[in-house]
Amino acid sequence: MTESADSHHLPPKSTVKRWLVTTDHKDIGVLYILTSIFTLVLAGTLALLIRAQMWTSGGLILNGLGYNQVVSAHGLLMVFWFLSPFAFGLANYFVPLQIGADDLAFPRLNALSYWVYLFSIVLFGVSFFQGATFSGGWTMYAPLNVPTVDASSVTQIGGFAAILALTMFVTSVTLGSVNFLTTIYRQRAKGLRMRDIPLFSISILLTVWMMLFAFAALLAALVILSAEHLIGTVYFASDSGGSVLWTHLWWFFGHPEVYIVFFPALGLLGEIVQTFSGRRLVGRKWFVIALALVAIQSFIVWMHHMFLTTINLPIKTVFMVTTIGISLPFDLMVFALIYTMVKGRIRWKTPFLFALGALVIFIIGGITGVFLGAILLDYSFRGTYWVTAHFHYAMASAAVAIIGGIYYWFPKITGKMYNEFLGKAHFVAAFVGFNMLYFPMFVVWETPRRVFVYDTGLTLWHRVATLGAAIFAASFLLMFYNLVKSMYSDRDVTDSPWAYTGSMEWAVSSPPPEENFPGTPSYASGSLEFLDRSATDGGAVADGDAATDGGAVADATTAAAQPADHASWWPFLIGFSTLLTGIGLSGISGPYFVWPFLFTLPVFIAYLGIKGAQHDGFALIHGAYLTASFPLLALLLVLFDADHGFMTGLGEASNYFYITIVGTVLGAMTLIGMGYESFNVPEPKLAEQWPFGEVESTKLGMWTFIGSDIILFGALIGSYVFARFNFGWHEWWEAAEVHKATWPGLANTYILLASSFTIVLALVYAKRQDKRKTLGFLSLTFVGASVFMLNKSIEWIELFWHEGWTFNTDLMASTYYLTTGMHAAHVLVGMLIMLFLIARTYTGAYMGEEESQTIEYFGLYWHFVDIVWLFLFPVFYIL
Amino acid sequence: MASIKTYTTIFGVLMAFSTVQFVFEFSGLLEDNYGPIMAVILVLSVLKAMAVAGWYMHIIEEPRSITYIALAGVLGVIALTVGATYSIS
Repeated sequence: MTESADSHHLPPKSTVKRWLVTTDHKDIGVLYILTSIFTLVLAGTLALLIRAQMWTSGGLILNGLGYNQVVSAHGLLMVFWFLSPFAFGLANYFVPLQIGADDLAFPRLNALSYWVYLFSIVLFGVSFFQGATFSGGWTMYAPLNVPTVDASSVTQIGGFAAILALTMFVTSVTLGSVNFLTTIYRQRAKGLRMRDIPLFSISILLTVWMMLFAFAALLAALVILSAEHLIGTVYFASDSGGSVLWTHLWWFFGHPEVYIVFFPALGLLGEIVQTFSGRRLVGRKWFVIALALVAIQSFIVWMHHMFLTTINLPIKTVFMVTTIGISLPFDLMVFALIYTMVKGRIRWKTPFLFALGALVIFIIGGITGVFLGAILLDYSFRGTYWVTAHFHYAMASAAVAIIGGIYYWFPKITGKMYNEFLGKAHFVAAFVGFNMLYFPMFVVWETPRRVFVYDTGLTLWHRVATLGAAIFAASFLLMFYNLVKSMYSDRDVTDSPWAYTGSMEWAVSSPPPEENFPGTPSYASGSLEFLDRSATDGGAVADGDAATDGGAVADATTAAAQPADHASWWPFLIGFSTLLTGIGLSGISGPYFVWPFLFTLPVFIAYLGIKGAQHDGFALIHGAYLTASFPLLALLLVLFDADHGFMTGLGEASNYFYITIVGTVLGAMTLIGMGYESFNVPEPKLAEQWPFGEVESTKLGMWTFIGSDIILFGALIGSYVFARFNFGWHEWWEAAEVHKATWPGLANTYILLASSFTIVLALVYAKRQDKRKTLGFLSLTFVGASVFMLNKSIEWIELFWHEGWTFNTDLMASTYYLTTGMHAAHVLVGMLIMLFLIARTYTGAYMGEEESQTIEYFGLYWHFVDIVWLFLFPVFYIL
Repeated sequence: MASIKTYTTIFGVLMAFSTVQFVFEFSGLLEDNYGPIMAVILVLSVLKAMAVAGWYMHIIEEPRSITYIALAGVLGVIALTVGATYSIS
């Protein structure tokens, strides 16, 4: 963790350290693939337990709670922690290679995505040992997911830990989406137009767009659900539409999720079918247009999952139509793939067999899904094994295609060819096992889902399915043996082991070199060339300390000569801190929940002073930070004493309280560490960047993040509108029995608007290199934010303590506190970033046209927080 | 980048619009004509948001594609809110 340039060089692959510090996209890709395969084995073992239980009606080995846990954990692990990360392992490895980028746009952010993903699996694993993990099904339907219903102390902590693990996973996905979008839009080789990038990368681009928005809605649902557990809000427990609200939020995410899982597989199918048919995909342009159409349509079909809820018939009809409509582009894509095979000359290699198998499985999954899109048929099929069978045919076809992708790119990743016979044997066993497992479920479709008691006349079919599961599972042993054995074989491969390939990853050695390409890739002449790097590479930005994560921009002329950095400890450490925080929060009691975060504030400020002094040399501001942290800590201790009694409170606090403190403190310190780290990421000067040519990478990253945050806050406000409409719009405040805090709301509107004004003035003066005024307006913004928070605190104290309107008093209180609280949390985060900016400005950073960009990027965040308030003000304080 | 004068003008407009929103509620106008006044209040919020995004976030100086990112998010919110709320009407 020293600041020397050597600390950013990658250790050899044979060392453990290499895999803990690497930010290289190829390494991260391998880590994703291996971790997701571990999850496949874990979730697959749970699946075998399910099938063993179904050997006979009434169950064989598990009790009710055990079975519910196994079914829920299997679904959650497969859908979230296996399917997408499996595809994104390949995406990490191959998207930069296919588009001509040296790495992802934000390498440390990429590593952070991975480590948060990994530690979210660990947290999920921990949940099994906290009494019991979540047992309410993978869709987590309300009210099975809220503590007031799931009141058993056996299941509460572990169940909540699983929810927090999913929240961590969503965070990882959001970071990854921002990174891939920025990379694909900003770092394509010169001459590589959007329409020409390889199908797999196009599918990943559309996938991350869907991820960016869909997962934000899920994040909103999980934030609300976490609040139900931590502070006792009553959204989903409410009998005023609470459970329907959950299904809306869940499926607004959940249906795009089907395509999020399947799109990378479609891209792979395109690549593999092209390669092994020996010709370009028929109707490629229309294939891509169909993909884009589905990505958009995926957000207007979610209610077909809700035909059995209380939603009205007209909306059901609308969504039946949109659902049938979304099948049309898929028809086009399927026919394009089939016609390419028909017109081509097929080579029956293992990747092709898996691609063909995936296509067959997907067609069966798609056709059987159309039944569920029809309202009347859905009334009969919903909640039966028909859904289970359809769902597995649809989702697992993606896994089958990606396994084909593993075989396809295995020679590129390892430099070795796998054993073809074993590969084909794997395919045959997997295909037979898969269909033996899932096809009988269509036959016994009347078996109710998630129940292990069924008509004994169906026993034979269930046993066939169980045998199929065993064969399917065993087939993977063949794959593991084949791939591991092949890695150490002497079957070396050339750059391109397949006869017909067109994308750029096949133009470099197998495995690819650390810097990816022998020169700067370019298609400008009409064909792929590698140009002299010294003539094409421009300046470098410092990832993190610069635009990416805040901090100093490296001097372009000197940084251009420096090699890119590939190693950092901070992503791993930040990821670890989220695990500790997650474990702590899973068991912390409501009255203690806020204190670890508050106690972390003085540590954050003090460490900011220490790290700032180390990085920029000691200045008055660093001393001021250190000094200010002590009275702040003292004040917090006094408040803690008033709330809990100092010794009594600490004595009665559970271990979870202390684990949370360790996690949040470590999180604060590591974030500061990463913020001050200098990390060079050369930004290519010779790159295709339409349609964001004039937007720097970090600014684009910030805007895509804001796009996601719009959905997060929008979903929270939408939940409020839904709840209020359902309750009775005009009766809402009368029932609340408190007065709207209109005056404090107006005051805070003025304050926040003023802070937006001052931050933009800080930017103006930073560009003019007027340090004094920049510092002054940054400080004024901080003061404005502080007054906002003080005013908000007074407002809450008045309502909460004096009027007794607590989080769980009613739905009105829950929506008010959570939505405005989320906004306040954003303000607080902004204030902490401002302290960092103020310290750096004090020591001379951010002055000038280029260097002031960091203030501009922060300003984007701050103005967005302001805009959110502009809607919260009328919604919660006036109407 | 706009001029400081432009930023100041925008700030003045934002403060004025906020005051108007408050006055609607404080004067009792909202209570007397709830539907139309609610619409006016929300339109004012939209205008304020556009002003902040347009000038303070400099979206008017960026390529249109940046605007589309924000609009995609807004469209998603509208789809979710309107769809969910209509479904229980």
